[in-house]
Amino acid sequence: MSTPAGRAPINREKRLNTLSAYLGETSALLREYARGEDEVNVDQRIRTFSHGKPDDLLVALEVLSAIPDAITVIHGPRGCAVSQLQRALLARGRAFGRWTVTDLDQKATIMGADAKLRAAVAAFYHRYGPKVVFIVATPAVAINNDDIQSVVDELSGELGTIIIPIYASGFTSKTSVYGYDLVAHSLVKTLVKNPPAERGAWVNLLSLAESSGDRDEARRLLQALGLETLTLPDGAGVQDFAKAAGARFSVPLDFDAGHYLGRAFQDVAQVPLLDVPRPIGLVGTREWLLTVGAAAGKQSEARDFHAREAAALAEILEAQPLRGAKVYLSLAPATALGVLNLVKETGGHVAGLTVSHVDQLHLDGLRKFQDQSPALQIHVGEGQGFEEANLLQRLKPDLYVGDGGQLVQAARLGIPSVFLPRIPVVGYRGVRAFARRTALALKNRAFVARFAGGPQLFADNWFQRSAHWHIKQEVK
Amino acid sequence: MSTHHHIEQARAGCALHGALATFGAIEGVTPVIHATAGCGIQYERGVTPFGGALPPCAAWGPPVSSTNISEKHVVFGGGSRLREQLKNTVKVVAADLYAVVSSCATEMVGDDLQAMTKEGREQGFPVICANTPGFHGSLHVGYETAAKALIEQLPAAGTNGAPRRLVNLLGIVPQQDPFWQGHLSQLAQLIRPLGWEANVLFGTGQTVKSWQEVPAAALNVVLSPWGEKTARLLQEKHQTPWVSFAGLPVGPKAIERFLKTLAERLGAEHNPSAFRAQERALDAWLARLAPGYFQNGWQREFAVVGEFSLVYGLTELLAETLGLIPKLVVVTDPLSEEQQQQWLPQLESLVKPWSAKVVVREDAGEIADLIEQSGVELVLGSSLEREVSDRLGVPLLVVSFPVADRLILNRGYVGFDGALALIEDLGSALLQSP
Repeated sequence: MSTPAGRAPINREKRLNTLSAYLGETSALLREYARGEDEVNVDQRIRTFSHGKPDDLLVALEVLSAIPDAITVIHGPRGCAVSQLQRALLARGRAFGRWTVTDLDQKATIMGADAKLRAAVAAFYHRYGPKVVFIVATPAVAINNDDIQSVVDELSGELGTIIIPIYASGFTSKTSVYGYDLVAHSLVKTLVKNPPAERGAWVNLLSLAESSGDRDEARRLLQALGLETLTLPDGAGVQDFAKAAGARFSVPLDFDAGHYLGRAFQDVAQVPLLDVPRPIGLVGTREWLLTVGAAAGKQSEARDFHAREAAALAEILEAQPLRGAKVYLSLAPATALGVLNLVKETGGHVAGLTVSHVDQLHLDGLRKFQDQSPALQIHVGEGQGFEEANLLQRLKPDLYVGDGGQLVQAARLGIPSVFLPRIPVVGYRGVRAFARRTALALKNRAFVARFAGGPQLFADNWFQRSAHWHIKQEVK
Repeated sequence: MSTHHHIEQARAGCALHGALATFGAIEGVTPVIHATAGCGIQYERGVTPFGGALPPCAAWGPPVSSTNISEKHVVFGGGSRLREQLKNTVKVVAADLYAVVSSCATEMVGDDLQAMTKEGREQGFPVICANTPGFHGSLHVGYETAAKALIEQLPAAGTNGAPRRLVNLLGIVPQQDPFWQGHLSQLAQLIRPLGWEANVLFGTGQTVKSWQEVPAAALNVVLSPWGEKTARLLQEKHQTPWVSFAGLPVGPKAIERFLKTLAERLGAEHNPSAFRAQERALDAWLARLAPGYFQNGWQREFAVVGEFSLVYGLTELLAETLGLIPKLVVVTDPLSEEQQQQWLPQLESLVKPWSAKVVVREDAGEIADLIEQSGVELVLGSSLEREVSDRLGVPLLVVSFPVADRLILNRGYVGFDGALALIEDLGSALLQSP
């Protein structure tokens, strides 16, 4: 890969052999991935029944939400923007990027709406005077092929501002993580034109739509090593992207989200991308910290800091708050592989694992999971509550830890549940928060107990079927 | 709004989302979404968290059935994918009715929803469909389309026994009215003493059967501009007469008007003495409010921002019972020019004594400007108005979609209990403001 070319990156399926549907032995999955390193080698699966799930557009919008001094023009019918209400409402007074939608009607959808887009961008730009304007495409616009690029070209000069198009479609990839790639592609392509000749002292912390608590914790870890940190794209200004091209190295807070961005800096400006797990649990945090320490020549600082922080957590972990509890995890893969550490460190056992996708970035993690829990299957699917409900019914875990709306379906089977996105999970703070929240969930089951035995969404017959019933090999 | 080329922070989802809110608010109905994967999640993230009580179907988490079409289907058509999804939805999800809804992508590709639905019916599945691409319009349009689908495609219920004394309530859009569940219950309660039963159609205890009883009603009661199309359809199809109200019955004047009109149309007995007793009870509460009313400076000029029928009702109570002064009324539902001509004059005449400004706007930036220019000392609006009201240091009571900073399950502002609830909420907002 050199400077990102084309409107949009190739999709994750082609780039990383990403799978979004699978249920079976981890070993069998690993064997498929071992068939060849770089070419497309895994068999894509599809579902013959599915729940709704996030797409690239939603993820792209989330990432853009965290970039200040920017406005976003969502080019499409109004429904493609409505999830962004969260952006304004949950910001609760903090700065957030403004957004608007071109609200395409039937005529505009059929006839094209370049003129409307042009007028919207100009008017919205004049109102708020941002440093950068994002134009985000949507399914309708992707299908009728509105000429966004000419609007970008014309208005960039006319308004004298930076306009960055994001070519989301909702259907180019089957996985929502592709949305991270879309944004990273356009950011680097537009903002990193001339890599600086000299390397600076700072390191890039790649943070895409992370919670502020997790981001702060990661910064604290880097600060403990005495490293100057440039965080991006979360909270970053336009100039930060060019600056990032001169960093010593990049370290992702979440390698699923940060991989494309990190590789782009590596390819365009030779900024090394560290290969690290997500810093979750003592084990994951230690590995993250030591890898960063090694790259920065701060090994002993990293070891000392870890020893101090781990000692401070000893009492909590010795109490083994999840002692003996069977825990089901349903999380994005980089997070899930980290939370496996947390479950073990707090005394629990993993009873089942659902990840939203898997690809070549997870092979090490999956091998570890396979070694630790050889009897467990792995379930791959984002938002597919019917498969999870089927598995949960059989596995009967004591606790469900998830990051999607299908958590409700677990709770309504009477299983104590923890919604992970709302609690810190990264670093040493994450250990403390995880231990506390999961212990509280187990301490009082009154709320979920009211649902147990109540009405279920799924037909009785579904629970008689095997959970992988609707996952089939894709026929090309 | 003829010049509009964009809407900042558009406060209503699209037609597809309206269909999801509508079908999902009927117990036992499962929408089957024929769309790209994210269309239903936009609804899950942008509508359900901010629209008061969850509709029964949305309370189960992510959209429970969605074809999640991929590039292949965009290129070659997604009809067979829908056929497969529908057949399997019936096997996986327990429901009394499956409602297939379409999206921009599947309409642009030209997938034949009707044919797939017909096929499903021929196999004995209880299934209906509605074409609801987002480019058809706002969430309100989806409500109209879904109601039409239910009325036209549901098999009629057998009429057994004596005809029921039933009226249908039309125009309360689930979730776009964050008090939808409370308002429907309160309206039913208001009507009951007339000796008639309200068919509220959505929420607790409302099922496919409720919709099958729609033709049996003697009168359709239209409670917002968005109920009229359905009423006209029912008049045409079943000759059911209808009556419409400009605003929700909030406050004594509106309640009396509502009850008198219904009694007259239904040939029922309106009991003025029972009404007076309730009005006196409200006055007694107002007397107990009085010291706080003066100490906390209730008499303010206010702006109200929200859907037509709610802002009408709230303005009427605030102005005509509580002595506040309307200065700016912002109607946020995207009323067509025709709808504006028909409905706005009534609102304009309501606020004429105070020379308040009435505008139809949904752009958050423009609304913030209007509030700032108005110089009001109180705002009733959505959580999107928090930013401007905080900036101006003016109290805000959140009453309209999107609602992000208060919990609404069964609350509402209709009827005498509703009036008291509004007074408590408003008083609390004033007490909490600096």
